[in-house]
Amino acid sequence: MDDLCIPATASSPSVSAIWDTGLVQLAGDSYPENSYELFAPLIAWLERYLLREDDQPLKLELGLLYLNTSSVKSMMDIFDLLEEAHRGGRTLQVTWHYSPRNERVAELAEEFREDCSFPFAITPLNGN
Amino acid sequence: MKTIDLLGLRDSFAEHRVLLCFNGPISKSLIEDIGNALRGYMEAELAPANATMDVFAVYIEMAQNIRHYSRKRGDSDLTAIATLAIAREEDGHYAVSAGNLVDPEDGERLVATIEALARLDKPALKESYKRRLREPRCTDGHSGAGLGLLDIARKSSQPLSARLTPQPGGRCFFSLQATI
Repeated sequence: MDDLCIPATASSPSVSAIWDTGLVQLAGDSYPENSYELFAPLIAWLERYLLREDDQPLKLELGLLYLNTSSVKSMMDIFDLLEEAHRGGRTLQVTWHYSPRNERVAELAEEFREDCSFPFAITPLNGN
Repeated sequence: MKTIDLLGLRDSFAEHRVLLCFNGPISKSLIEDIGNALRGYMEAELAPANATMDVFAVYIEMAQNIRHYSRKRGDSDLTAIATLAIAREEDGHYAVSAGNLVDPEDGERLVATIEALARLDKPALKESYKRRLREPRCTDGHSGAGLGLLDIARKSSQPLSARLTPQPGGRCFFSLQATI
């Protein structure tokens, strides 16, 4: 019942988080002026989810295209939260899907991955 | 009433190979609209995808820094006045520039920051960027101009160039240019 569903705007990504399946998805551009406002509900959701006692896995699927530095900072907060949960024994994985035409986002994902020890895949999309 | 010398403006834009420029109060939605126009323009010109991403990213950070600055000073939405220009140089590089009025001490601090960044190579810029990312946010939730400047410097193929020009009334015009 505790799902999150935020539609995309020109400068913010779509956000969806499903409590029953542990699937969290973010897709689109992210360059709000204040990313803290945008990401606060998701961070609060993740904090609650990661406290679940049944240890249901978390799957974060990213289709983000461009992030301003404010959004990069918020994503780092999310990855820090995941890292802490992973070290505490939670099962989780991140997959960042990117178009092979958009090398910059793959480079950004790679920089995030440098600081993470949980499973983190950076996967090119087929086709274009 | 003085007639605006549109032809003179046009010639000046042509001389500097300006693709897109803007001068005036800049809102959040205008930043989005100009950004979309910029991306569309570069895609239509078949610019390399990485160049389009970098030019867009640098433009967004510069424009949002100007809005953050004006919000921090307590200016209203209408007074976030920005001058922005994106040009394609003859050698194929893109020049992204932005300017705004600042208080002299803020401008001097910015110029000193940019001069310090110009002395760093790419690995040192990355290290500073990652360190800065882990610093606490400003009280209003923004990450501050420092992170944006580091990101701009990392994407620029040449050291950033900044200028501070005193204006009547005691303020200064600060301008920053990055070459992609």
